[in-house]
Amino acid sequence: MSHDSHHAPVACKTELAPERSDLGLIRPDRATGWIDWLTTVDHKKIGILYGAFAMFYFLVGGVEALAIRTQLARPDNDFVTARMYNQLFTMHGTTMIFLGVMPLSAAFFNFLVPLQIGARDVAFPRLNAFSLWTFVFGAFVLNASWFFEFAHLAGWFNSFDWHKALVYTDFAPANGWFSYAPLSGTFGQNGQALRFTGVGTDFWIIGIQVLGIASLAASFNFICTIINMRAKGMTMMRLPVFTWMTLVTAVLIILAFPAITVALIELMFDRTFGANFFNPSAGGQPVLWQHLFWIFGHPEVYILVLPAMGIVSEVLPTFSGKSLFGYPIIVFSGAVIGFLGFAVWSHHMFTTGLGPVPTAAFSLLTMAIAVPTGVKIFNWLGTIWGGRIRFTPPMVLALGFIWMFMCGGFSGVMHSAAPADSQQQDSYFVIAHFHYVLVGGVLLGLLSGLYFWFPKIFGRMPNAPLGYLGSALVILGFNLAFGPMHYLGLAGMPRRTHTYHAGNGWETWNMVSTYGAYMLGLGIVIIFGNLAWTAFRGKKCSNDPWDGRTLEWSLPSPVPEYNFAQAPVVATRDAFFEDKHGSKRIGSEPDGGEAGVHMPSQSWMPLVASAGFLFIGFGMPMMAMGIPHAGWMVIGGLGVLFLGIWLWALEGPGGYMLKTPVNRDAPVPTETAAH
Amino acid sequence: MSDTAAAHEAPTSTGIDHKKLIMWLFLASDCMFFGTLISTHLLYRKLFPAGFTDAEGHQRFIQNLFNIELTSFSTFILLMSSFLMALAVSAMHKGQIKSFRRNVLGVIFFGVIFLGCQVYEFTHFYHQGLTIQNSVLGSTFYVLTGTHGTHVAIGVLWLILLYFYSFTGKLGGHMGALDVEVAGLYWHFVDIVWIIIFTAVYLVEYLGPNGIWGSGLPAVAK
Repeated sequence: MSHDSHHAPVACKTELAPERSDLGLIRPDRATGWIDWLTTVDHKKIGILYGAFAMFYFLVGGVEALAIRTQLARPDNDFVTARMYNQLFTMHGTTMIFLGVMPLSAAFFNFLVPLQIGARDVAFPRLNAFSLWTFVFGAFVLNASWFFEFAHLAGWFNSFDWHKALVYTDFAPANGWFSYAPLSGTFGQNGQALRFTGVGTDFWIIGIQVLGIASLAASFNFICTIINMRAKGMTMMRLPVFTWMTLVTAVLIILAFPAITVALIELMFDRTFGANFFNPSAGGQPVLWQHLFWIFGHPEVYILVLPAMGIVSEVLPTFSGKSLFGYPIIVFSGAVIGFLGFAVWSHHMFTTGLGPVPTAAFSLLTMAIAVPTGVKIFNWLGTIWGGRIRFTPPMVLALGFIWMFMCGGFSGVMHSAAPADSQQQDSYFVIAHFHYVLVGGVLLGLLSGLYFWFPKIFGRMPNAPLGYLGSALVILGFNLAFGPMHYLGLAGMPRRTHTYHAGNGWETWNMVSTYGAYMLGLGIVIIFGNLAWTAFRGKKCSNDPWDGRTLEWSLPSPVPEYNFAQAPVVATRDAFFEDKHGSKRIGSEPDGGEAGVHMPSQSWMPLVASAGFLFIGFGMPMMAMGIPHAGWMVIGGLGVLFLGIWLWALEGPGGYMLKTPVNRDAPVPTETAAH
Repeated sequence: MSDTAAAHEAPTSTGIDHKKLIMWLFLASDCMFFGTLISTHLLYRKLFPAGFTDAEGHQRFIQNLFNIELTSFSTFILLMSSFLMALAVSAMHKGQIKSFRRNVLGVIFFGVIFLGCQVYEFTHFYHQGLTIQNSVLGSTFYVLTGTHGTHVAIGVLWLILLYFYSFTGKLGGHMGALDVEVAGLYWHFVDIVWIIIFTAVYLVEYLGPNGIWGSGLPAVAK
């Protein structure tokens, strides 16, 4: 077998002869169109796909949220049943966290990190594609539970024997996003594994497990990329803050996700094989689930918020015309937040009766984590202080982030006091708190990032008036929706109940909250609509429309597949800004001249391996449903996974040499032209 | 592959190869994974020191169940497999492919012996009445040691594939040595985890007259 054609540099990959793997399989090297998107290993395309899927699931989670708010608008409402309500809030939380915020953050990681550190791709391009498709299939499995639920409600399953044998028939997850045992687990002696809930829980278990694998694989890749693939001169303390926060987030993921992985395995063994990890009738301790879940779950909070903090740390300096105030302190407090994030999980469990010493310790640590967060806020204020502020949609959203996130932080500090928390536990006050952090904080940060980098991603500028309108609606609607929940919670309204009676004094504010939710929804639709339109039809813009500071703005928009025609050499923080306005120029490394730059070959194998999870993901819940022979589907899925990884290893990284504009003038060797 | 090898050996910022770095990161994550499983087991041992009740309703103690001689033997075998793995990595770095094959075959053989011992142990315990379903002890013991066994099995499969791949002539040079070294890192880690499991799950049950958890039963051979 020969790779001759891949020796000679080409100007465009479509000039290449297809590369064959060792088994003679043709790699989709020169594919264009949808095969190109399915087999791509380009971090920018993977980032765009992550972003598109995340925005889709944001809308799905948003529809679920609006259904919840519609149900709660009036007392004693019957818009949805109690059972449907449980499924809605469970899937709303799970979708927003695992399918909305995390993948949208991953979209930014993918698109930006290699550009910001001056690299041509991530360390493991095919592993990156594997993370993407594993996320896509995990998300699909989780949401496919809705199809089963609707088919059940429509009565399509009624004639099947396995359906008649089911005791509980909730097909969509209905345990809350934390799936507390024993509700999610089993009871009964000697492996009877009697369940409290239907197969929705099994969909949830396998869905989260698969999504966890996607996050872990991506995080290994990104830590490796950031540590190992920095351009010359890009020392750790010259990294853009977004890249730093990506690094901290990825470290949190690889250390926090194993806890939920094990917890899910244990829960799966309980439900599927009659084990007793969380089975109270056999001595299992349901509180262990809470510990394991929150050992993951609290770092997860910082996994969600740190990327948004990174984005804001890029947006504010750009539009203030100043460098970030206290860069080392921002980086250090980000790392401290990550570190302390592992030591505060039990503040979710003050009412479980931990005893005075652990309660006091977790209280103190929770208060302590407000310090680095506050330091960051002051640094951001210091950044805009005395700056030449330009108002643009990303800047407005970033300023909104600071303000709203602070509100969420204040109620967070209130929760850290255990006596107060035990009053607020399971009330709407908690809902208000974490939506201020996750919507007012994370979502505003991510939207700011979308408006900020969209011109770089697509070379087109989003419409600014629509951007302002959307931002105003989001910020106003969000405050209307979640502000009143502080009051409702302190007035005693419990979470996770599908309705409430009139006469508790909750009617007015619930109605206000529902209006606010619809306003927020309208704002999101305007923003997403504006962005989607921009991606295809928006007005073309220059390569550096914001007077950007970091390396990605030095590139053409949209960014060419090889990123940097010549590998950059940086001499300072904010290298591009210094290059434009200061004295320190961005240098370049000689890149082998006529040899061109090395591009990785595309591959089907990440997609094939990930598809294994699709079979496993459907097989496990179908086993739990009692569908005959469903276990073979799981085994088949494992087989597909193994086959995909094996062929992946055998085909090797491959690759071809690409001529960048810098050295494209060199004559193209004739043997290439023969193909 | 060889035509692009030069491009892949581009120096990294730290001088550590990507593959080696990502394996260390995976192992860091795996530490938390096993840490969680081992914690679960130890927590439940502390809560329920008395062992389990078998199908006939007899109270059984964990010390009656364990065959510490057999487990010590399989632990020794796994340790020795790590020694052979180190030799295989060293041979690969020196380009001695035949020596690599011999040693890696030894690792595979020892790994299979270890797995065989575990299969025997599981069957034996099951017949003694400890099942995954009849007690928390059964659940934590089988899932913890079974997960470790799965790690060993994946390692054995990986090494078998590497062994056969070495006959294609493509396993060589710096990249080949790196591939073997990364597999070696994984193998040593799985071995170290077993040392911890052997200590925390087996050996501590024999501390003091009543076992470390005070199960009320002298640790005597059955």
